[in-house]
Amino acid sequence: MARVKSSSLSADRSPVMTAFPPSTLPLLAVTGLEQSFGGVMALAGVSFQVAEGLIYAVIGPNGAGKTTLFNALCGFYQPAAGSIRFADRELLGLPPHRIAACGVARTFQNLQLFFNMTVVENVMVGGHLRAKTNVFAAALRLPWVRRQERCLRDWAIEALELCELGDCAHHPAGALPYGLMKRVEIARALAAKPRLLLLDEPAAGLNDTETLALRALITRIRASGVTVLLVEHHMPLVMGVSDRLLVLDYGSVLAEGDPVAIQTDPRVVAAYLGGAVSYAV
Amino acid sequence: MMRLAGLYALAAAVVVLPILWPDNYFVIVVGASAGLHVILAVGLNLLMGYAGQISLGHAAFFGLGAYTSAILSTRFGWPSLAALVASLLAVGVLAWLFARPILRLRGHYLAMATLGFGIIVHVVLVQATQWTGGPDGLSGIPPLNLLGWPVDGDLQWYGVIMAAMLLVLWLSLNLVDSQVGRALRAVHGSEFAAQMMGVDTGRAKTQVFVVSALFAAFAGSLFAHQQAFVSPDSFNLIVSVELVTMVVLGGMASTFGAACGAIALTFLQQGLVVFEDYEMLIHGALLMAVMIFLPQGLFVGLHQAAGRWWRASSRRL
Amino acid sequence: MPEQLFQFLVTGITVGSLYALVGLGFALIYNASDVVNFAQGEFVMLGAMAAIALLSAGLPLPLAAVVATLATVAVGLLLERFAIEPAAGASVVATIIITIGAAIFLRGVALLLWGKDFHSLPPFSGDAPIRLGGATVLPQSLWVLGATVLLVIVVRTFFNRTLLGKALLACAFNRTAAQAVGINVKVMLRLAYGLSAGLGALAGILIAPITFSSYEAGVMLGLKGFSAAIVGGIGNPMGAVAGGLLLGVLEVLGAGLVSSGYKDAIAFVFVLMVLFFEPTGLFGHKVAERV
Repeated sequence: MARVKSSSLSADRSPVMTAFPPSTLPLLAVTGLEQSFGGVMALAGVSFQVAEGLIYAVIGPNGAGKTTLFNALCGFYQPAAGSIRFADRELLGLPPHRIAACGVARTFQNLQLFFNMTVVENVMVGGHLRAKTNVFAAALRLPWVRRQERCLRDWAIEALELCELGDCAHHPAGALPYGLMKRVEIARALAAKPRLLLLDEPAAGLNDTETLALRALITRIRASGVTVLLVEHHMPLVMGVSDRLLVLDYGSVLAEGDPVAIQTDPRVVAAYLGGAVSYAV
Repeated sequence: MMRLAGLYALAAAVVVLPILWPDNYFVIVVGASAGLHVILAVGLNLLMGYAGQISLGHAAFFGLGAYTSAILSTRFGWPSLAALVASLLAVGVLAWLFARPILRLRGHYLAMATLGFGIIVHVVLVQATQWTGGPDGLSGIPPLNLLGWPVDGDLQWYGVIMAAMLLVLWLSLNLVDSQVGRALRAVHGSEFAAQMMGVDTGRAKTQVFVVSALFAAFAGSLFAHQQAFVSPDSFNLIVSVELVTMVVLGGMASTFGAACGAIALTFLQQGLVVFEDYEMLIHGALLMAVMIFLPQGLFVGLHQAAGRWWRASSRRL
Repeated sequence: MPEQLFQFLVTGITVGSLYALVGLGFALIYNASDVVNFAQGEFVMLGAMAAIALLSAGLPLPLAAVVATLATVAVGLLLERFAIEPAAGASVVATIIITIGAAIFLRGVALLLWGKDFHSLPPFSGDAPIRLGGATVLPQSLWVLGATVLLVIVVRTFFNRTLLGKALLACAFNRTAAQAVGINVKVMLRLAYGLSAGLGALAGILIAPITFSSYEAGVMLGLKGFSAAIVGGIGNPMGAVAGGLLLGVLEVLGAGLVSSGYKDAIAFVFVLMVLFFEPTGLFGHKVAERV
């Protein structure tokens, strides 16, 4: 009896929709999220919605609460108040591994690769939720375990190829250049076949060529049906690839809208963008 | 079957050695002792090397396995196989109960908790004279009876222990190279990332803790029947430290490394007995020297040296 | 009954002072290097045994104590120079094993020099018990308590008021930054080991008239001292002192009220309880990890 889900990575998603009909339920609905650390209000009642199939960016000055927001969404922090509805489940209060099981994956601002494993092994861990794990069966290497290993490896190679990392599969994860390591983290998150992918400053530390490649990758990811939530400082990338933006400042929502609206919003310009330059949309 | 090449080689060696040197004390007796140490070290390595936890009290599980088998087969007259299974179950449950609270701890705090556990178990073994025979231990443990065949004599015990060792090695290699094993290594690599991949890190750590305790209890039961005698002296802090040394000596995160470390240290200790009064001094000096000069471990060091030699000689061709 | 409890309390604080001093030694080295020195108990043993040997060689007690302390400090410095420093880049586990190896080595040396016999020192000011509110206190206990208070104040002042002490703490917080401001980290580390050895030796000499010393005396002491440091929150010197006192009192209470055979188990059960409820010790720094 097959115990393995054998769907492939990019096959079963509907085509992307650039505008959503008002009656569609947003994939992610955050309401009134509050998070403080010893007196400092990192998130002061943040609310926003992300429709399925969009690339949604969160921008703002340092300390605005962007990574705190991500950590709260993923269950690493427990917000004091608010609600996080994902599809039709409440995520607030769940531990990270349960949130991941709902279909959320993320990359980390400070690389959190498994340096004690190879690249392909890292990405195979990404497929953890798609696999059945049982200590006894694994120790005895039962036939279904062996079949599952082959599937996990295939899924991992698929994810690596989507990120153009096929050649590095057997390198130790720590032996790659920084830009490639960041892409391995994205491949690893994709191997989970998430509905929502959180990218935490994916362009940090990348040069211009790598950033262009990243932009293409994010677009490919959206095309495969994954909704992307992005925290980023690199404005050309953000403005070029995002469908909608959320601007945070001191833990509150400053503005929300499409790239043109945000770029021309005087409050955003004053707090963060700083004036004269406009970015190609 | 490249994956298991090392295991097959070891199995071949295990069979060939007593044929080449029959009745040799070092092969049969010390070899059997090394085999038990391999089982202990491989289990501890899963916990320390792969899952990145530390345990300075592992001898406690060794001792609990030994004493449970001993008490059940002497005081209650249970057949030895049933006692072995019962001791595995008992130690497994105890390890599971203990794991959850303890594995929330990190670093030195975890070291202290495992250290404390080891000492508490040792004190109980010494003090609970009614059950354990106190400091003098329990003697008269009946031989291991494998479905009608009583294991008797050094050579037979060599065979049984070697078979057990190969089984444990096989189980460990399978575990490491599976999704369960990768999830464990992920916990060691980055607990946050592992959680975001859906790994229940608390459960994973508990599972590996229980598995390593089970291996130790298995070795303990075999030990009790082999020696026909158990005393608390075999399960104290020094033994726990020796087990950690075997794992670190061999090179952590390597099943064969742990096995190498166990074998090396067992034979080293045998050699040291000759030195009598100087034994402790030399033991300490050796520990320091090995950790200072070979910190990545014997196995990893030899592996790298072999790799360099191989590359150098293939360049010359 | 209250009289008995008071007696336990007094004895417990005496025992606890010993653990506090050993724990302080652990905290010192941990603060300077992030390493737990499992040879700490052996410093205590060496101080006591050396003092006993020098006394029986004819030296007057004060001189024997001073020389024994200095000798142990020398051992501490040698340990750092020849066992810790060569392994500077090693992992925490490897370094722990090195210190355990050092502990075994020092025990082996003590075994060779002094055999397996038990020895003790004569009390500093006689052994006529003093009655203190219903409890009997040995004069030596008062020496232990007084010296502990003094040493704790000295260590605290050292860390808070002297430049050297602050430099030592700086090494623990951020070794690279400490080096960048010109602190010689190697020297600081050696200093930490020397100080810990000295503290340990003094503790050993103080307690030797009350307990019997042998080559193995350091093992359980080291473990209890480590427990004290952990219970107080590793890296917090004053926490180690508090932890030691608490541990001593609870151990004596357990031995007196429950069972003396199980006293070591009781002590460690207490330690485990603390760790279960306060995973970073009673006064430890809660570490928030940045994701």
